[in-house]
Amino acid sequence: MKKIFSRTLYTIACISLAFSCKPKLETPAIDKGSLNLTTYVAIGNSITAGYADNALYRNGQENSYAKLLAEQFQLAGGGAFKIPYVDPNSVGIGSTGGARLALTYVTDACQGTYLTPRPVEASGDVTIFASVYAAQGPFNSFGVPGAKSFHVPFAGYGNSANGVGNYNPFFTRMAADEATSSMLTDALARNPTFFSLFIGNNDVLLYALSGGAQDAITPTGTFDASIDATVNALTAVSPQGVIANVPDITSLPYFTTVPYNGLVLDATQAAGLNALHAGSDASFHEGANGFLIADAAATGGKRNAVAGEFILLSTPQNDLKCTGLGSQTALPTQYVLTATEVAAIQAATIHYNNKLKTVAEAKGLAFVDANAFLKSAIKGITFDGINVSTTFVSGGAFSLDGVHLTHLGNALLTNEFIRSINAKYRSTIPEVDITKYHGVVFP
Amino acid sequence: MKKLLIILISLSPFLAQAQGFQVNLQGQKQQAMSSAGTGLALDEASVFFNPGAVSHLEKNGVSVGVSPTIAHSTFQSTSNQSQARSTSPVSTPFTAYSVWGPEESKLKFGLGIYTPFGSTIQWEDGWSGRFQLTRLQLFSVFIQPTVSYKISDKVGIGAGFVYGIGKIDLRRDLPVVDANGNYGNAKLTGNANGIGFNAGIYLKPIEKLSIGITYRSRVDMKVNKGNAEFNVPSSLSSNFPNGGFSSSLPLPRVITLGVGFRATDKLLLAADVNFIGWSAYKELAFDYENNTSTLQDTKSERNYKDTYAFRLGGQYSIKENFHVRAGVAYQLTPVQDGYVTPELPDANKMNYSVGVGYTFAEKLTVDASFTFEDFDKRTDTNKETNFSGSYKTYIAIPGISLSYNF
Repeated sequence: MKKIFSRTLYTIACISLAFSCKPKLETPAIDKGSLNLTTYVAIGNSITAGYADNALYRNGQENSYAKLLAEQFQLAGGGAFKIPYVDPNSVGIGSTGGARLALTYVTDACQGTYLTPRPVEASGDVTIFASVYAAQGPFNSFGVPGAKSFHVPFAGYGNSANGVGNYNPFFTRMAADEATSSMLTDALARNPTFFSLFIGNNDVLLYALSGGAQDAITPTGTFDASIDATVNALTAVSPQGVIANVPDITSLPYFTTVPYNGLVLDATQAAGLNALHAGSDASFHEGANGFLIADAAATGGKRNAVAGEFILLSTPQNDLKCTGLGSQTALPTQYVLTATEVAAIQAATIHYNNKLKTVAEAKGLAFVDANAFLKSAIKGITFDGINVSTTFVSGGAFSLDGVHLTHLGNALLTNEFIRSINAKYRSTIPEVDITKYHGVVFP
Repeated sequence: MKKLLIILISLSPFLAQAQGFQVNLQGQKQQAMSSAGTGLALDEASVFFNPGAVSHLEKNGVSVGVSPTIAHSTFQSTSNQSQARSTSPVSTPFTAYSVWGPEESKLKFGLGIYTPFGSTIQWEDGWSGRFQLTRLQLFSVFIQPTVSYKISDKVGIGAGFVYGIGKIDLRRDLPVVDANGNYGNAKLTGNANGIGFNAGIYLKPIEKLSIGITYRSRVDMKVNKGNAEFNVPSSLSSNFPNGGFSSSLPLPRVITLGVGFRATDKLLLAADVNFIGWSAYKELAFDYENNTSTLQDTKSERNYKDTYAFRLGGQYSIKENFHVRAGVAYQLTPVQDGYVTPELPDANKMNYSVGVGYTFAEKLTVDASFTFEDFDKRTDTNKETNFSGSYKTYIAIPGISLSYNF
């Protein structure tokens, strides 16, 4: 009755105030449920760091899911979240030393003028690797590009005295003590009340990115032991947290952009290639053909790629189109994931994800099925009128390296974290407004 | 008269007072009674409300009216903290009617020019629904020449041919961004037209009671040569070619039963029930002339349902030439759950109206009304866009008309 009365009063007031009244809607209340968000630490790899477009750079860092999650936590009383920022004007640096990529017009004799990802400068900014701990630390974000499961508890992971290849300069720059810190010890030193752990991608990915030619898949025993050591140590300090699992490589445009059978031939071309590769396992016909790939086990050391095999985004696209790579000459193994390699990667991913889920359940932690989420986006999903898919460049979710997320991709991932945290801890942390975050930038 | 009409048309007759896109602002006397009046032979607006009642009007006359419409909508996201308000411009639905017939003739002729459907909504810059809609202006003007025949003192029939012209202007942002952070946008504009009819029967079985039944047909407004303009980062311009588009919007049939009751010498009551055939609006489709992999034809399901409105009004005569009026109406939304969109954040709503009318020297009448519409708060998740939130709308409509009778 009182409500009706006040509403009637408001209506009369509206009418009398020159018809200018605006309807009011309550913003949903924010309830932190059982969460203690005083000190949040994020442990992970390049995704947690906000690495994008093949480099660690400021704009990517500022839009990492960890940063966005911390900002939403702050709406529910969460504390400050410190990130080891790089200079805002830096071109960034990637795991292989390059500057960040941007869509750039390129002109060449073969293809004319076209738009393609290119580094914005000839080389990356190595000054990024200098320690910023004294200036900016201690940190809450322990996102270290290249980190695998067993690196998290690895003391001296940032120790340059270990020599090139035996330390990670992305950790050096943020470590409290270069010689002795591990990601885990530095995180524990913050006395976290809540943690996120998103690790394991690189345990298969560095192998996969190299077409199985470099690196190695982390053995499942090593992975399990590393996760146990990490989560046991974290939950001893912070009983609350969230674990995310590892996306399958088939969700990543790095592996899916170039179709295995993208070699389209007419009858004359097919006959010519058959003559050229006579005596090998390769054969060609009119229409779509599997690219010619190197395979030591095949007759003549080469064969056609088959369904379920992946031609990587690192393949020189120009050579595919213009110089006969993948048709006249076989694609070297570093550009191809063969069925055997894919099977090994996917078996490991399944094992890792089972382990991560088991640990999350055993420790009563929230769990984000990042793998299922990205798989659901393969065909495209619509959020707030934005259609997002895992398609390279136009899909909006993945940055120009085909592996790391755009701002929009990070915002969507953040909301996956928030939904699982809210469900677990009976909280109502608001989601991120994804329409404020964009995909690939076009010139 | 002609001059005045031109002035009215040059106002922006984009409309907001709506049930679906229906605009119920077709006569100041009726508006003041929440648009009940199908069962009455009140004035020239019967050309719209009931062509059958036109033959029972006592005098010839012309009238023009305008109803500046001030609409405010607010949106609150379900999943995040974002809130947005509409910044819609004031729209000005108008009416112009004339009725003429020789004094003793059973036949009367009428002409109506009115704005039966339309919508204006504009949302604040950067709002979270901007990839669906930033601004929509839909408007239609129906021109309706009418004949009405008085079969007896108890029965009148009438019908009018409807020629509808319309405009659409739809704008939305596109989720593609350039290096400066500017998003792309799309602007679709076009003219539309369609035809239909409006027919009615007026019955007056006893002195105190009158009944009206009308059928206003569906009018399919077709946009054949629309213009699609895209503003996108230059590297994408070939993906979003400017060019023509076609579309259509069905304006539904409306069947009305109205009753008028002279309770006392001074008090006249009216009640209307409208059936609105909104199930005709199944989808909003845009067929682009130049398709690319990124610019495909679109078909968005709307799946409106048939719906009803209930109207009750009264007129009290303080003096013979001075009337006061009031009314209430309850209008049910045609928009089903899962289909609420920012272009029309519709909901069930209450309508409250008041008005006065004064006649000078038995010839010149001024009628004024004020209508307030209070939409229910509507919370929905759109099936197509997964856009989830609550909408709340108020609409305030002052209105005035001038009539000259002879």
